[in-house]
Amino acid sequence: MTRNLKRLAVLSAAAVAIAWSGAAAAQTEGGSDTDTKNFAVVGNVPAMCVGGTIAGTGGTFDMGVLIDLNTGLLRTDLAAPPKVLSGSFCSARSTITVNATPMAAQTFTSTPPTGFSRLVDYTATAAGWTTTPASYATSAGSNPAAVQTRATAFSGDITVSVGNFSTNGGATQRLVADTNYQGNVTVTLAVAS
Amino acid sequence: MPRGLRLETVLVVGGLLAWASPAFAQSTVATKTLPVTGNAPPVCAVGSPRLAAGNQINFRGLSGNTLQIDQMIDPTTLAVAAASVDVKFDAVCNYPHRLRLESQNNGLWPTLQRTQAPAPGFGSAVPYRATVMWGVVNGVLNADAVARRVNDQLFNVDLPTAGEIDLKLNIAPGASNARDNAPLPAGDYADTMRIFVEPR
Repeated sequence: MTRNLKRLAVLSAAAVAIAWSGAAAAQTEGGSDTDTKNFAVVGNVPAMCVGGTIAGTGGTFDMGVLIDLNTGLLRTDLAAPPKVLSGSFCSARSTITVNATPMAAQTFTSTPPTGFSRLVDYTATAAGWTTTPASYATSAGSNPAAVQTRATAFSGDITVSVGNFSTNGGATQRLVADTNYQGNVTVTLAVAS
Repeated sequence: MPRGLRLETVLVVGGLLAWASPAFAQSTVATKTLPVTGNAPPVCAVGSPRLAAGNQINFRGLSGNTLQIDQMIDPTTLAVAAASVDVKFDAVCNYPHRLRLESQNNGLWPTLQRTQAPAPGFGSAVPYRATVMWGVVNGVLNADAVARRVNDQLFNVDLPTAGEIDLKLNIAPGASNARDNAPLPAGDYADTMRIFVEPR
């Protein structure tokens, strides 16, 4: 460290000396009253993506009571306001990927008896980043629409929504009682290769 | 190359390092996770009764929630005639619960309470047997008509259950709370049976 400082001091002194000597030479030779030096100033912007923040009431889709209390079947009117990821950006070509896990009973973890289910499927969608929103259905065996590519750098809002709720196992299945069903929606922005 | 230019080169390189450091701290991948939550409260529900096809003997049928016996006694002996019926209820209970089968009168008793005891040799009420099937439960309630009182049976069900509650009522031929085949005084006889699915 000390050695580096000394070297920097020496180099600085040399620079001052050259600057003075250059001016002296110009005056002495009398050929020109200006002199130009070109210095390269270079840098780069690495490809990167930054996720946004969620305003308002937070990042949880709280669906409340999932079942019709008269039948025990999944409610058909389940809905939640979308969440907006603000300030997301990627500095290069990027992909947006949405992934989701079914809502699962957190206390009732054993295999439910006949006629019951402990899982609720749904579809998660992330819109605003690409022309075609990325979407993921937890009931589907494959989700080719889960990954969408944007050819250009972009900064903007991503609107994440959930919908199309259904009982895993079929509409005639009831949900086991549980105070906490939970799944997760994961949105990933990534620099595309 | 002048020495001063060499210094500038050193500074430029330093500048590159200064930009590179925060840039590498950023990621090429950004991820946000949003939980999706909800709850399913404990629910038990029982639907309206309906007759099971083909399992009805000496019953007129189901009218609302009333089962009407067609001919209560054998007209030649005045002893009780056999009767049976099978009633089903759609039901669901999404948590461990209890099934309770209750006979309000513990048998078929006169709807008009008599102040006098029946004549000697006559019965005063009609016993019957109720069997219930619900999930893993296969239970029996004997409404023996020995005394007019509430009689119930409790059955714990350890699992959420959905499907049908199958209730069979059976009156044996000659059933009586006095002796077998005892005649029955004229009048209307009734009982109220209740089925509860409830917390344990």
